[in-house]
Amino acid sequence: MTLPPDQLHPSLWRANQLARNPGPCQPSGFPSLDAELPGGGWPVGTLIELFAAQAGVGELRLLAPALAQLSLHRPVALVHPPYTPNSAYCTGAHTPRRPWLWIAPERPIDALWAAEQVLKNGSCAALLFWQKDVRPASLRRLHLAAQSSDMLFFLLRPQAAMRQTSPAPLRIHLQAAACGIELDIVKRRGPSMNHVLFIDLPTPAPHIVHHAPLDRRTPAPARAGRPAPVLVN
Amino acid sequence: MLDALRPSWSTDATECIVLDHEHVAAVSPAAHRSGVSVGMRKSGAAIIAPQATLLERSPEKEHALLHQAALAMLQYTPEVALADDHTLLLNVSASLMLFKGPRGISRRVTHTLRAMQLNATQGMAVTARGAWLLARRGQTGPRRRVRLASLHTQLNQLPLSLLPAAQKHADWLRGIGCHTLGALRRLPRAGLQRRVGTEVVRAMDVAYGEIPEVHAWFTAPLVFKQRIELIERLEHTSAVHAVAQELIAQMSGWLVHRQRAITQLILSMEHEIGRHARPPTQLALPLAAPAWQASHLQHLLKEKLDRVTLEAPVVAIGLETPDTVEMPAISTTLFPEPGGTAADHMRLLDLLAARLGPEQVRQPNTQADHRPETANQWRTAIGRATPACPPADIERPFWLLDPPEALSTHQDKPYYGSPLTLVKGPERIETGWWDGGLAVRDYFVAQDKHYVHYWIYRERDHHAARWYLHGLFG
Repeated sequence: MTLPPDQLHPSLWRANQLARNPGPCQPSGFPSLDAELPGGGWPVGTLIELFAAQAGVGELRLLAPALAQLSLHRPVALVHPPYTPNSAYCTGAHTPRRPWLWIAPERPIDALWAAEQVLKNGSCAALLFWQKDVRPASLRRLHLAAQSSDMLFFLLRPQAAMRQTSPAPLRIHLQAAACGIELDIVKRRGPSMNHVLFIDLPTPAPHIVHHAPLDRRTPAPARAGRPAPVLVN
Repeated sequence: MLDALRPSWSTDATECIVLDHEHVAAVSPAAHRSGVSVGMRKSGAAIIAPQATLLERSPEKEHALLHQAALAMLQYTPEVALADDHTLLLNVSASLMLFKGPRGISRRVTHTLRAMQLNATQGMAVTARGAWLLARRGQTGPRRRVRLASLHTQLNQLPLSLLPAAQKHADWLRGIGCHTLGALRRLPRAGLQRRVGTEVVRAMDVAYGEIPEVHAWFTAPLVFKQRIELIERLEHTSAVHAVAQELIAQMSGWLVHRQRAITQLILSMEHEIGRHARPPTQLALPLAAPAWQASHLQHLLKEKLDRVTLEAPVVAIGLETPDTVEMPAISTTLFPEPGGTAADHMRLLDLLAARLGPEQVRQPNTQADHRPETANQWRTAIGRATPACPPADIERPFWLLDPPEALSTHQDKPYYGSPLTLVKGPERIETGWWDGGLAVRDYFVAQDKHYVHYWIYRERDHHAARWYLHGLFG
């Protein structure tokens, strides 16, 4: 009797399926995103690369539900952020009470070192690391350090870095959209994604009357070799 | 002897000869290759190896070094005794479980001694004198015996010259064909005792574990303050670190013995006296949590020293522990906590602060103020946490621009890359008239054509509307 290949070993999967055994995952808080991620959430102890054209596209609102589910005794470390983080956001009533750590190294090499030390130590719940230029060797080093920890590790990089090779198993391009954010999963353990995923994010100003967006852009146009996505109702 | 006078003798290739009353007492390997051997006269050695460095033996330095080694060994057991002929005896029977067995503790002791730049051999046995003999045997044969029967087998093979008590009767014993401890033991006891005295028989009995041995245990001083005078002038911090490692190993032993932990470490580097005299460089290393582990402190000091440039060569290094606290008790939780203990986190903070500086590792310290730039305060994460102010119930942006960026206007609309549309506001903030930092502002949430949300404000005290970008919603 021959077994189908996807039942031979837990690490094998068919090209049209998502990876079946990607390790522990943390639900992202958005069911539509969880459905597209192998393991049903953000993988823990893995290098996750997020690309955005600029800071402020909604990356923190996207990550906030996942961060809120992590142990509130362990801090969230921010290494080398592009602007000054607002302590009023960290301690505000809209964010769960937890320790935060802002590490502001002066040189990029120190930033890489600090991120690696945070991962190796493993006492933080999550690490958000902003870095413009990272060499593939450094990425591999960070990925290895992440694998030995149980932390959520996001590396936030500019859009231009998306074309570089990377050992990260999950790479996502973020783009701001009306009343939400658009995610293009560039790389994942599974089939390539033919459409852009829209996630309805809470607007930063909670008192605005929230209408369903009518001026949303149509999903990515059908390209050669890709099936046309189903039209939005 | 060479360790006390020239610490690097085993690595450099210089020929060194230590003299004791005009006789050679010790030689370095290079000098030994030239033909100098222990016991030669000074003049003879000087003819064979004219280029060798002649050093006079200094019993005080040797004693001080042994004392320092004993201090470092206190981290493995409280029972350390100074034995004759530059030997330390450690009673590790109570520490075996903690340091993962005889091999584990032996490896750690070797590592500590190497950090102190000491060249030592180790022996391990169930009796102290037996271990002493095994440590002093030549290059061949095992040095570790944890069972009495196998220790006896090993001891029986050892040459008689190792036993100091038998030296007086060495010629007589050689004459009757008795060369090993085993042969000596087989001789009739009563007759032997009559001929060579009780001393030799007693030493044998102690080594074979037949009668107990009494040791005078080493006691540590009440205050730790050590200073090493260097033979060479050090110009690089890496060399300073190598010496400081030695001091930290001693300090760690002392701390464990006294059951104390340090909150601050002060390393002072003394410079030359004379024309270029300058006060010693003090390097303070504040710690986030009390620590005593040698490896952790050595790692921290390395990061700290890498950041320092020496202004002048260093001639002496001192280590002080100005204040110590009770060593914190070990966590008694049954299961390891996810993410490690609080002590692990403190170690991370120490490490980051040692390389980046304590001001670069920050935690939120929000102030109760309506002006966002005044409310947004961060303080160093090293030290005690401050009581947090009550959280504001208005959602604030994640990023703040410091200072706020002035925006141009385009058709009466603020413009930042593209025209901004106001989606929420205004939130009026008017405060600070009492301290000179008057803020009269209307804050709006604005959106550009790429749907990025900005936090902008308009200064209200001017006739011409001036817009500023103050934050971004992450």
